[in-house]
Amino acid sequence: MSRLAYSANRRRARRAKRAAAKPRRHRLFLPPASTVDQTVDLTSMSAAMVDRLFWRAGFGPTQADRTAWTGKPVKDAVNWLLTTPAGVSGVPGTNGGKAFDPTGDDTDLVLSWVDRMVRSTNPFPERLGFFWHRHFANSRASVSPPQLLMQQNDLFRKYSDLAANPTASFKDLTHEVTINPSMLRFLTGEYNVKGAPNENYGRELMELFSLGITNAAGAANYSEDDVKQLAKAFSGWQIDDSNPDAVTSYFTPDRWYNGPKIVFGKFGNYHYDDAVDLVLAHPNHPAFLLTKLWNEFVATPPDAATLAKLVSTYTSSGLQIKPVIQQILTDPALFASLSEPNLVKPPIVYVVGTMRALGAGVTDTSATDHLDDMGQLPYFPPTVAGWEGGLSWLNTNTALARFGFAASLISNATIDDVPGETASSAYDRAYAAVGQPWLSSATQAAIRDFSNRAGSGTSKLRKERQLMLRALMLAGPDGQVM
Amino acid sequence: MTDTPRNGDHDKLPAGGADAHALRCADCARSDSLVTDLEPTSRVPIPAEALAGFPDGVPHAKRGPRGVDRRSFLRNGLIGTAAVYSATRLDWGSMWEAALAEAAEPMQKSIVCIFLNGGNDGLNAIVPVAADQYSAYQAARSNIARITDTTTGSQASSGTQVGTTVMPGTGTTLAFANPLVSGTGNNTDTKGFDTLYGDGSGGAGSDLAVFPAADYTPANRSHFESRDYWFAGALQELQTGWLGRWLDAYGSQSNPLQAVSLDSSLSKQIRSSSAPVCAIEDLGGARFSVPGVTVADPNAEVGKLAAVAAPSAGNVSLARSRSIYGLTVDVSNRLTGLGAVQPGQGYPPNTDLSRKLQLAATLLSAGLGTRIVTIDWGSFDTHGGQVTAQDPQLAVLSRGLAAFKADLAARGIEQNVVTMVFSEFGRRIASNDSQGTDHGAGGMMLVSGSAVRGGLAGEHPGVKVDDDGDLVVKTDFRSVYQSLISEWLGGDPANVLPGGPFPGIQRYDGGTSLMK
Repeated sequence: MSRLAYSANRRRARRAKRAAAKPRRHRLFLPPASTVDQTVDLTSMSAAMVDRLFWRAGFGPTQADRTAWTGKPVKDAVNWLLTTPAGVSGVPGTNGGKAFDPTGDDTDLVLSWVDRMVRSTNPFPERLGFFWHRHFANSRASVSPPQLLMQQNDLFRKYSDLAANPTASFKDLTHEVTINPSMLRFLTGEYNVKGAPNENYGRELMELFSLGITNAAGAANYSEDDVKQLAKAFSGWQIDDSNPDAVTSYFTPDRWYNGPKIVFGKFGNYHYDDAVDLVLAHPNHPAFLLTKLWNEFVATPPDAATLAKLVSTYTSSGLQIKPVIQQILTDPALFASLSEPNLVKPPIVYVVGTMRALGAGVTDTSATDHLDDMGQLPYFPPTVAGWEGGLSWLNTNTALARFGFAASLISNATIDDVPGETASSAYDRAYAAVGQPWLSSATQAAIRDFSNRAGSGTSKLRKERQLMLRALMLAGPDGQVM
Repeated sequence: MTDTPRNGDHDKLPAGGADAHALRCADCARSDSLVTDLEPTSRVPIPAEALAGFPDGVPHAKRGPRGVDRRSFLRNGLIGTAAVYSATRLDWGSMWEAALAEAAEPMQKSIVCIFLNGGNDGLNAIVPVAADQYSAYQAARSNIARITDTTTGSQASSGTQVGTTVMPGTGTTLAFANPLVSGTGNNTDTKGFDTLYGDGSGGAGSDLAVFPAADYTPANRSHFESRDYWFAGALQELQTGWLGRWLDAYGSQSNPLQAVSLDSSLSKQIRSSSAPVCAIEDLGGARFSVPGVTVADPNAEVGKLAAVAAPSAGNVSLARSRSIYGLTVDVSNRLTGLGAVQPGQGYPPNTDLSRKLQLAATLLSAGLGTRIVTIDWGSFDTHGGQVTAQDPQLAVLSRGLAAFKADLAARGIEQNVVTMVFSEFGRRIASNDSQGTDHGAGGMMLVSGSAVRGGLAGEHPGVKVDDDGDLVVKTDFRSVYQSLISEWLGGDPANVLPGGPFPGIQRYDGGTSLMK
């Protein structure tokens, strides 16, 4: 059986289990605050700051990134990330020598996105696009045909390629997502019809996508009646998938609940777009979304003043995305604990980052196999709430998968034999080959100790030494944080 | 499959040469003993506590941490995955509760089924050595025949024909081929079929019941159809296996670990209608490794990286990463220790059978309510070069069974476990020109365990060629299943085996029971 088929089973099972257990919670891991390094100079980035920015806003730094941005202001680098169009370079990936067939094979569907991330010239649009996928999480396990998810992926990219869409707003995104065919299918909005309202989307819109169940003080953000009333406003939309490559959603007035609705105490004959506007005008929306967005990039939650400033930026811009991202990525908190990275790399960031560090492209199903084992197969989120994330990424199974993925890539690479190479030179060569990742000084010492102990009398031993050094540098415990 | 013979005739295979031992039917290379058209309903992580918390020899009744939860499992490490096949969706937590609830109960009677894949030639394992019988045997298969004295050695390497050792209690009419027998020149170990069999009386120390010609009639020489019959416990293709039906009637409805296939997917033997069952491929693979690295130990080196000085307070992410990496190393080391055998209990090294038997012993002794383990092993479809292909496997089987019994005894559970060995059919009496044998009937079936009444438990038909050139089947395999149910596992065979009741066991000494 294919791994994806089993994933789908497993995820269906989890989803069924989750559906049975109400209320659902959207858990975010919030680590305790750690102090901002005093050495952070936002006007002149150190190499460690460049690394930090490109891990958090991309998939790790390249040597070119380090050369280009060391000594430069943070705001310039962030500006580059937010104004450089999405694009790819290099040789397109394959699955065993064959071009991807994303509509015919779910593995290829996933691989084609991974390939796009690996080859991205500006990683930020793919990184933010993946955030939207986690946020508005739809799964291939219950969305067919796969073209719906590909179309939704393009939609997300429209709201993450901020060079192409500098004024993109969360409001416009939510309007589009609400009648997006994949979302209509995943949350059964296509069955929402007057006389038989389907509350699924309206509930998740408030609970997961925009408000949260309660505010910071613990008070309910909405009532069950609001859910019912919203459902009426969202009724009437269906999917035309007669041509899978050009799926559209359409509105049938006769299926729409044409009558008064009361949402948050406001009265009107609302359509879907009115309803979205009402929800996004809710006082708890900005803090809810911006806290989640902040936590995507920063290890510690925003303090009250920072959050207030973000909310102000967000609301005054008409819920635009770029200004708040700019503010988050230039905040000193992003550079906290520079000498000791303090956020677990999500599997997708680890996998793509490892491939980019090694200069490896997608050539087989190794990336999807290992992503699955690491617990984050793109297009297959476990629930509509996305992935739990945070510390839950790491357990004894996923540690083996993380190490195994990098070790297999390292073993696939050609390694020159250098007879007479000293332990120290071997260490340096390996370190360069894996892209000079962060390693604590104690870890460096331990790996150097291995290099000193390792045999080097034969070409086989020297090759083993290189394989081991590279795997330990890239795939050990220190390689899992950013 | 359509262009290969399905009736077992392989006369068109090329004559044996240097590579003759490699000859098998084209369609026998794949293992069809597994259910491949059935997808697991879930995959469940196996926590380290399930096995590693119960070291060897701890009395069974003392085990059983209760109140487990998913988070503690994840915190303490996982050692493998069970592919669960269940008619109803099992909740993760309740499944482990069910398994661990078993830990508080006395261990129940269990069975391990070893399937010799490909059709084992029983006639070269249990050899008729009475004078008239032996001459017929020798004449029918002179190019692979055993000799009647106890000469040892490999026919392939020394040119000396392999000898035989008489089975006590058979009046010197039957003998074990020497690869099955202990000794330096035989199976190379100090234990084997001869030590399990003892004096053949069925008393203390006589723990191996031998059925020299067990099968069904009329013979079906298709690997696939014949296997299906054996697995189903019926001469028809059924959707369930005989042990699966036993579980439906008498097993748990909530503990998939009650029946485990040590494979990537499920054996048809334990395919059930309602009772949950599972497949576990491996528990020992959980180590850090780097392809191409054989001298250095990646697991140990990763352990050193995990043990460097703790990160600064507040950096929970890095602390978590190092602790999880360290835990993973710990778990794999503990499991490696768990799998280590006591001195003197040596399993044959580097064989898949040893690995699976050790895994079976580990599971059975973990007290998780495991009652059935299925193992699919070997490559017995010896159309050519039979001696060099079969003899090493017979030696491994002989050593493995003896080591398994000793391992179970060291774990204090041997009295609760019996092991059954079977194959889908025997082979023709006459050998072919490739120094091999083609698909026949009447194969060797064994039941081992100190609870078993050892000895010759079924009649040998002698080398009387029937109309098809096969051994005459003297024991219906379903008679053995019937005894295993009524005398061991418990329950009414009529609820499990269609077409019964079947004739009872007929021991050489007139006894009719399989168990002591």
